[in-house]
Amino acid sequence: MSRKVLLWIGIAVLCIYIGIALAAPLIAPQGPIAITGKPLQPPDSQHPFGTNEVGQDILAQLVFGARITLLYGFCSALLAVTISTSIGIVLGYYGGIVDEIACRVIDVVMPIPMFVLLIVLTTFFSPGIVQVSLLMGLMGSIYGIRIMRAQVLSVARTSFVEGARAIGASDVRIMSRHILPNVMPLVMVKFVSSSQQLLLMGVGLSFIGIWDTTTVDWGTMIQNAYSQGGLALGLWWWILPPGLAVIGVSLALAMIGYSFEDKFNPRVEVNRI
Amino acid sequence: MVPDRSGVSCMIKLDGITKIYSRGFLRQQKTVAVNNVTLSIKRGETLGLVGESGSGKSTLGRIALRLIEPTNGTIRFEGTDLTGLSGKELRKFRPRMQILFQDPDTALDPRMTVRQCVEEPLAIWDRTGPEETESRILDLLEQVGLTPDLIDRYPFEISGGQKQRVALARVLTLNPGFIVADEPTAALDLSVQAQVLSLIKSIQKRTNLTLLFISHDLQVIGQMSDRVAVMHKGSIVEQGATQDVLNNPQDPYTRQLVAAAREGEAWLGKTRDTGAVH
Amino acid sequence: MELIRIAGLKVIFSTRSGEIRAVDMVDLSINDGDSFCLIGESGCGKTVMGMAVMGLLPKNAGITGTIRYRGQDLVAAPEHNMQQIRGREIALISQNSANALNPVMRVGDQIAESLLIHQLCPADKAWEQTVQLLGTLGFEDPTQGASWYPHEFSGGMRERILIALALICNPRIVIADEPTSGLDAQVKTQILRLMKDRVVNGRTLLLITHDLGAAAFLSTRLAVMYAGEILETGPTKEVLARPLHPYTQGLLASLPSAGLHPIPGLSPSPAHFPAGCRFSDRCPAVQDRCRGNHPVMIAAHGSRQVRCLLYD
Repeated sequence: MSRKVLLWIGIAVLCIYIGIALAAPLIAPQGPIAITGKPLQPPDSQHPFGTNEVGQDILAQLVFGARITLLYGFCSALLAVTISTSIGIVLGYYGGIVDEIACRVIDVVMPIPMFVLLIVLTTFFSPGIVQVSLLMGLMGSIYGIRIMRAQVLSVARTSFVEGARAIGASDVRIMSRHILPNVMPLVMVKFVSSSQQLLLMGVGLSFIGIWDTTTVDWGTMIQNAYSQGGLALGLWWWILPPGLAVIGVSLALAMIGYSFEDKFNPRVEVNRI
Repeated sequence: MVPDRSGVSCMIKLDGITKIYSRGFLRQQKTVAVNNVTLSIKRGETLGLVGESGSGKSTLGRIALRLIEPTNGTIRFEGTDLTGLSGKELRKFRPRMQILFQDPDTALDPRMTVRQCVEEPLAIWDRTGPEETESRILDLLEQVGLTPDLIDRYPFEISGGQKQRVALARVLTLNPGFIVADEPTAALDLSVQAQVLSLIKSIQKRTNLTLLFISHDLQVIGQMSDRVAVMHKGSIVEQGATQDVLNNPQDPYTRQLVAAAREGEAWLGKTRDTGAVH
Repeated sequence: MELIRIAGLKVIFSTRSGEIRAVDMVDLSINDGDSFCLIGESGCGKTVMGMAVMGLLPKNAGITGTIRYRGQDLVAAPEHNMQQIRGREIALISQNSANALNPVMRVGDQIAESLLIHQLCPADKAWEQTVQLLGTLGFEDPTQGASWYPHEFSGGMRERILIALALICNPRIVIADEPTSGLDAQVKTQILRLMKDRVVNGRTLLLITHDLGAAAFLSTRLAVMYAGEILETGPTKEVLARPLHPYTQGLLASLPSAGLHPIPGLSPSPAHFPAGCRFSDRCPAVQDRCRGNHPVMIAAHGSRQVRCLLYD
């Protein structure tokens, strides 16, 4: 399939997701936690996706849960990319002893699996979604620094950057007006792939109950369905919607990221959990 | 501000410049790129710096502007010692001394339009208001022989020769007194090279520009320079007036270079009817 | 004896921004033993011509016309036939020595590969032949050289490797695309001398370049190309000594040794060529009729031809 087609499919799907999340109160005015029916009901006209073990409408949970899941996915990705781009640009441009030390530090931290580290960190204190998102953003940035720095290195050695120094541009101006715009394509790709990765990670963390389990998001929905016997009882309407929703958004982001790749040519490493 | 030194006749003086690159673990490997070079250029003069690739001429050119730090030696620009200046103080001299690069494809920021490229020096040094800036840009484009319709184009939309002209316009914005031209036409076609070089010559005549012209092409150097310095493996092996060095080379390496150039000329034959069409 | 006859060749690229007429009605004939040079500046279409002869144009290139070689039309020939010809009978010295060599293959292996593809000798002998050839091309220790990788060589040595790649199967015709670009003056002289000795002698050479010095030294016949057309042909010495077309005269005048006199203006964009003579808006001798009438090639002085209304 041509990359352009994939890009448009990905963007369209993503827009649908965001649209649904924004329109949640219109789609399910009763809210995610209101008990509106008998428990464990299969889909019917009142509850298009049926009800869960306490009688809450699954569709309502899905659309409100979308808000939270999408939010922590994109926000932590935004934080991760902002940090890794800024540090990557500074390290790549200045180089020197600071750069060498920073790279060694990153070398040490990188092999540690993020997921495990997050679990370990969160056992010491029980954080909320915001704190976990912040942590994911911080840790996600470490992997990105290497990639951004590599791209910055190739831009920083070009004649036009040297020329900017020659006309008297300050370092800040060079980094913000010359280097940043030229690594923007990579930043965009990194944002999309980080969103995908951190969103999945967030769902995983939520599934194992890292934050308040009464929050309704897709991870807790799946956890709920699993632990309350939805899987064992074959209650497909309970497990499938959140599961498919996660897969769908992940695929959409993957398609967008894939179609960006041909805009330029760094050797980007995809980090998998 | 920078002191007015327009009376000083020696534009740039390099004294004992050495550049050693250290690489590898614990900086063990040392490469000598420039070896104890001393030369000076008078105001309005063009010094041709000729040598093969790897001779250190590009490095020397950049050291003359202190874009690369010399390991040893001093750089005097219009009498002021640049070597000891801090970053901020050095920046103040930047408008007076500029550089032209070899590869037109990487010399301009691919994400900036022609207008933005030429405007940037003015924006940095905050000299003029928006209407004045626009007319100054158009004026500069005309000076370098570019039509105003190119002003909103991106580098990938214009040819190599046009890119070099834009680079030249950008460099002229600040009225520099000294320009280092690092093989500015090596990547250009023959006729485009002639256009760009004759443009540089005419601008130099008009503004009394001092030029350090770096090239590996002895014939081009012969046409562009008043004096020539020949560089070989980091050292200057011969210096002198262009005609003297080309007609009567003393150093063996220079002799080789001159012989190769003469041979190239001989192939093209002396008899050429390059006059008007009958 | 005529070896290659190009008749009515047109190469048109279809791109998003329209049609690009890279080569527009070219007629050329190269004889056996000729050393023919196609000279022109970037964008004139000369590299496309070389690629057309080798059958190496990309898919979006529309080719019309014929290129006759030993009774075959190379334009219409099936890929299988072209593969037999490439390397074995017509070989190419590519333009960019940095990109033309595989960075992860030993130099000797790359050269020997050609022998093995065309089954010219058994595998165990291929390496020997490669080393022998490298020895004749100026490699001091060819056995060692053959086992090195491309990045370990300087520009001049890489050019010699490209020459070896072309010569290894002993082809009849060698197409050399800008063999001296990016080389220092002294290295350039060495490579040109090497080419005269080993490529020109006993073979037919099609030299594609913008370097007038190289053309003067290596070629016996010259064709000047501009905006997809041939403007002038003739024996090299004569064309360079007494150029007929104003463009050729302008080119020679813009040489450093001639005083760097520029030709004003730019070459026309291949997406929109002017209706009349394509050089008319830069020509010092332009007349009114030049803008409306597209000149054709006419004979002038002996074996020379020129495309200019001045000689009509």
